[in-house]
Amino acid sequence: MEWSIFQQYGPMLLRGFAITIFCWLLGTILGMVLGLLIALAQRYGVKPVRWLLQTYIEIIRGTPFLVQLFVLYYGGPLIGLRLDALPAGLLGLTIYGSPYFAEIFRSAFRAVPHGQIEAARAIGMAEPSIIRRILLPLGLVSALPALVNFSIILTKETVILSIITVPELMYQVQRMSTETFRYLEANLVLALFFWGLVELISRAGRRLETRITKHLIERT
Amino acid sequence: MVQASSVEIRKVNKFYGPFQALKDIDLSVPPGKVTCLIGPSGSGKSTLLRCINFLEEYDSGEVRIDGQLIGYEAPGGRRMRARKLREMRRSIGMVFQQFNLWPHMTAQENVAEGLIRVRGLPRAEAADRAVEALRKVGLGDKMANHPARLSGGQQQRVAIARAIAMEPRLMLFDEPTSALDPELVGEVLNVMKTLAGEGMTMVVVTHEMGFAAHVADQVAFMEAGELVAVDAPARILHQPEDPRIQGFLRTYHERNAF
Repeated sequence: MEWSIFQQYGPMLLRGFAITIFCWLLGTILGMVLGLLIALAQRYGVKPVRWLLQTYIEIIRGTPFLVQLFVLYYGGPLIGLRLDALPAGLLGLTIYGSPYFAEIFRSAFRAVPHGQIEAARAIGMAEPSIIRRILLPLGLVSALPALVNFSIILTKETVILSIITVPELMYQVQRMSTETFRYLEANLVLALFFWGLVELISRAGRRLETRITKHLIERT
Repeated sequence: MVQASSVEIRKVNKFYGPFQALKDIDLSVPPGKVTCLIGPSGSGKSTLLRCINFLEEYDSGEVRIDGQLIGYEAPGGRRMRARKLREMRRSIGMVFQQFNLWPHMTAQENVAEGLIRVRGLPRAEAADRAVEALRKVGLGDKMANHPARLSGGQQQRVAIARAIAMEPRLMLFDEPTSALDPELVGEVLNVMKTLAGEGMTMVVVTHEMGFAAHVADQVAFMEAGELVAVDAPARILHQPEDPRIQGFLRTYHERNAF
């Protein structure tokens, strides 16, 4: 083992890690928002819309992220979609995550007891209010563990962005490896960074879960 | 005294696929009176009740609140506009067997929600009225509790407060005490009695024969989707002529004897 090379490569790796976190955070948030919109459209939309969205879900879920990214980055220009590596990577992550998030929200909405929706209808609440005040808050609570879980999976999907030259951590690690032949050290550092990030997310998730379910659990 | 609505149900039919849940139901609920719907489970009592605020869509016939058809633009016509339906529901309170309180809101927030979203009251005024409604059902001291911190009886009373805060002219109760432990039934029935005493029109699906006997102005007996008889409580519960009612009451008395 030879650790002194990190004096030279440390700052570069840290910059890469920052970009990894940026890509993960933005991709996750956008993917979640898109997934939520898909789930709502599937719940309230007309049949053709639901069918179209289901097809989208099946296609994205049924193909590898790597392939989607290639199609987007190298195939995009053929239809006039010319994106730099970073925006392409972010868009790719958003699209890739959205069907999984949509499915998480869909089943979470179904877990909201129908009676609580009916109670809102019975006093004359309009559907947008019902969504905002009843369906979303209660749906989010039951979705949270699965949302955190899939966000964790997404952290590790970001390494694939290195293939389209997004300068995130994996990209920098590969560069360092080829320049120094210190494959083991570089990849150990990569693993350490990811482990720390995942640990942080899961702790934050658990804390959030305790907080938002505080009033929902029966204490006798 | 509250302003009270009347309900007219004419020739109402309801199908679930080939199964007919309601068969040509006719029922008049006069304003300010209490009508109890009784009968074996699966007889269509709850379905009929839910047709009154159109939570359940009837397939043919008419349900009229104060003469106004609910659910359809005209008898046998197009579905009523959502906005119009919401407007009609504002003056119809409903209480469910499973309470259906919103678990992420306190008792007070549960009651205030409709006042804010539906009646458009400012928050402060809605909060005041919520407290008032909760006091009325004897829960002035529980307004900050979430449903998970309330007993079943208390939850159901919050649900009643949520409905009456909207100042309805008609209250529908769908087996309001069936999910409660026996010792908690009384507190809910007492609130309902008070409400009846104030002249609220009430339609109550219930298995509480005591409530039906003492509070109802009329009792309707249903079986297999048919309305078998409507009459004064004493005539249905003490001198029933129809063998189906006699059979139902015999089973009821046998189960409650010890």
